[in-house]
Amino acid sequence: MAAPLPDSQPRLAPGCRWATHAEKPVVLYPEGMIRVQGTGQNILELCDGERTIQQIVATLAEKYAASEPDKIMDDVCSFLEGLRNKRIVDY
Amino acid sequence: MTPNPLALIAEITHRCPLHCVYCSNPVQMVAKQAELATEEWVRVLQEVSRLGVLHVHLTGGEPAARADLEELIAGARKAGLYTNLITSGLGISETRLPKLVDAGLDHIQLSFQDSRDGPAQWIAGAKGHTYKIVLAEIIRQLPLAFTVNLVVHRQNLDHIEEMIEFIEQLQPERIEIAHTQYYGWALRNREYLVPTPEQLDRCTRAAEDAQTRLAGKTRIDYVVPDYYARYPKACMGGWGRRTLLIDPSGRALPCHAAGVIPDIQFDSVREHSLEHIWQESAAFKMFRGHDWMPEPCKSCDRKEQDFGGCRCQAFLVTGDATATDPVCSLSPDHHLIEIARAAAAAAEQPAWSYRTSVE
Ligand code: SF4
Ligand code: SF4
Repeated sequence: MAAPLPDSQPRLAPGCRWATHAEKPVVLYPEGMIRVQGTGQNILELCDGERTIQQIVATLAEKYAASEPDKIMDDVCSFLEGLRNKRIVDY
Repeated sequence: MTPNPLALIAEITHRCPLHCVYCSNPVQMVAKQAELATEEWVRVLQEVSRLGVLHVHLTGGEPAARADLEELIAGARKAGLYTNLITSGLGISETRLPKLVDAGLDHIQLSFQDSRDGPAQWIAGAKGHTYKIVLAEIIRQLPLAFTVNLVVHRQNLDHIEEMIEFIEQLQPERIEIAHTQYYGWALRNREYLVPTPEQLDRCTRAAEDAQTRLAGKTRIDYVVPDYYARYPKACMGGWGRRTLLIDPSGRALPCHAAGVIPDIQFDSVREHSLEHIWQESAAFKMFRGHDWMPEPCKSCDRKEQDFGGCRCQAFLVTGDATATDPVCSLSPDHHLIEIARAAAAAAEQPAWSYRTSVE
């Protein structure tokens, strides 16, 4: 299945949730956990099922004062597509 | 110091309303009166969480046979654990399931024997197939991760495509296509369960097709069975390296089957702390590292990948728990696996041993 669209509203998939392990934020899912740091953490924290991809990209572009929102869009989409294939994210 | 475990398999009871011919429970099962009490399990869940365990897999037997399942799930959630329930679905009513979710259940893994009612009943030795379908629909309406587990073997592999399509309709996030592993009851029935090479090829193709077709919707977990692989798997990620199992009576073991190996004393959570059991007990230390290894493992460059394979399988097939896992093509005992495959190919109408009940 395809990458998210600009108006997709990504969220954690059922049964996936935030937790703390060794004082770091992690996302727990049925087979294990992912450590999320840096940009990945910033993206996932915005995935609340309400915000659209477009809004998430705009927020990140502002945060990083980046001049290339297209590049951010590509990165966010491929990051989320990978997590959807693992069934950690839905959109 | 050995790194602490990440997962606990809590085998909370051996009681089960089904009698699956592929059941990997030990042939000697624990009776209800010897089971750990609710408070004992809750204490164990807190202890393992302090050790660093993240996931608890509640299994059995049928874990829903315990009337206190809600309390155990609540105890796991309170201890900060991610809770997975591995179930046949029997014993989980429409009204009980939401209570389990409220208690903190994160993930449910529902097993199916087949896509068809008659064959499912033949494999499970009891009715249950139609109820599982009803339950799957209820699961899908609740906020939890849903995996369907399908155990495959020679008697059902000829319609693997149909079984995958059947499961897709249930809309789980994950489908686990699991080849039978030959422990416990499954070992007794091995000659009727080992697939033919043609069935295996077909199954692998069907799993790969489904992976492509369902990407993003349903994840397919599939592993080639070790009777047909060149090298063994790292059983449980290595003996005493990541996972520990606690049986219904509180004995701590490195895996489901380890109880079959004679002359190992497995300590009980009733007598020792989990930390002591993990770090100090003779049973958990026995096959850690390389010192115990025979040739060809000792000088093999895969020994850090598969740790010489499964100790229980080595014992069950060769009679020696310290032997190289006989499924390895380099094992001097590998012909025993070839013989088992040939015997299965020649076997006719199954005369099963159904898994018995325990009260
Ligand atoms: S494999 Fe079947 S008989 Fe064995 S515990 Fe699971 S449901 Fe019960
Ligand atoms: S010889 Fe031993 S270590 Fe090497 S692949 Fe076989 S089982 Fe693994």
